[in-house]
Amino acid sequence: MEFSQQQIDAVFPKVAEVIADALGCDVADVKLDSSLIDDLDAESIDFLDLVFRLERAFKVKIPRGKIVEDARGDLAEADFEQKGIVTEAGMQRLRSFLSEVPADRFNSPQKAADIPRLFTPKTFCKVVLRAQKTAQVA
Amino acid sequence: MGGRYGAFTFCDRITDYVPARRARATFAVPPKLAEFSPCLTAEATGQLAAWVAMAHIGFRGRPVAALAHDVRMQSDVRPGETLTLEVEIEECDDNAVFYQGRAHVGGREIVRLIDCLGPMLPQDEYDSADDLAREFALLCGEGAPSGRFDGIGPHAMETIDASANSRSARLHVPVTAPYFVDHFPRRPVFPATLLLDHAIRVAADLVDADVANSAPLRVAQVKNVKMRDFIRPGEDVLLRVTRMTAGDDGPRVKLEATIGDRKMATAQFAFAQAVLEAA
Repeated sequence: MEFSQQQIDAVFPKVAEVIADALGCDVADVKLDSSLIDDLDAESIDFLDLVFRLERAFKVKIPRGKIVEDARGDLAEADFEQKGIVTEAGMQRLRSFLSEVPADRFNSPQKAADIPRLFTPKTFCKVVLRAQKTAQVA
Repeated sequence: MGGRYGAFTFCDRITDYVPARRARATFAVPPKLAEFSPCLTAEATGQLAAWVAMAHIGFRGRPVAALAHDVRMQSDVRPGETLTLEVEIEECDDNAVFYQGRAHVGGREIVRLIDCLGPMLPQDEYDSADDLAREFALLCGEGAPSGRFDGIGPHAMETIDASANSRSARLHVPVTAPYFVDHFPRRPVFPATLLLDHAIRVAADLVDADVANSAPLRVAQVKNVKMRDFIRPGEDVLLRVTRMTAGDDGPRVKLEATIGDRKMATAQFAFAQAVLEAA
């Protein structure tokens, strides 16, 4: 596992506050495994907002629109998705990268455009932890 | 006058420009206007940030108003006065521009923009990159002629519902309007700042009852502006404003703008008592 539950728990309260501020919802409604789009009504513009707010809150640098790119890893784009549908190899990468997402939330076939529907507050906890790790290395 | 770069472009000359970092510009508010709203001053400031951002990426993309975390509306600019617009670009690339800005008249602050973000969209869909590059060169050089803006009258709005704690009004976005020439030539979009201008009128109508016997209220702060989708010419937008818990200085109101089931925009307005200025 990329990060321990203890590491996730350490950043989650602040991440939840940031999400509640960005989405205008009650912080109590922000659960670690809520779907940001389906459960908390987030839209694509909210993800951009979230990233900026997280950068401010945690004083880290988070590259824009990188979650899907990071999920793909060294897999070529054509091997990750074809005609907008995530390939079998791509799905393996995605399930592993988004290990926090319950298995039944992945679609079959999974549209690449719908990947953000899988994002949860825990996904963004991991984004913050990765950014902190990168900052430490630099 | 009006026309391209006159109908909805609020910059006469860029007087200081550090690529991708900051810019300062002037815009003379034509004396012929009845008013120049704080929302238009915010638009002017945002447009300066857009010029810097577009120039940085060779005009292949253009930012659109999407997020403004905090807009402070301190006072009004009077027709005949010249605005100084200043922007600091914190981050700018092919994906988005993130900036701070302010507009003032001789140091009297009119509007301050805090933490604004505009995603970049493909320029070709909205405008001509070559035209914009030429206009930018003009603005950075001798400047464009001032006084081209003819003003924008209020659009048709009808109240749908009114109670002590909320108002709903339907805003009819015109099919044609002079500002669509600038916003944008290839794909007309109703400007977010005009939407906010009209929403503030609805919100002001809601809170006006609070101050029946004292100084009038003016919107002092617009927070958490989030434009979620484009509004096209001819569309009807439902503006619903609802009271929130009042702040220290006055009432606060939240806005939700919708078209059918689509949420188009959200924002919050904080009102404060107007300070009456000596004439």
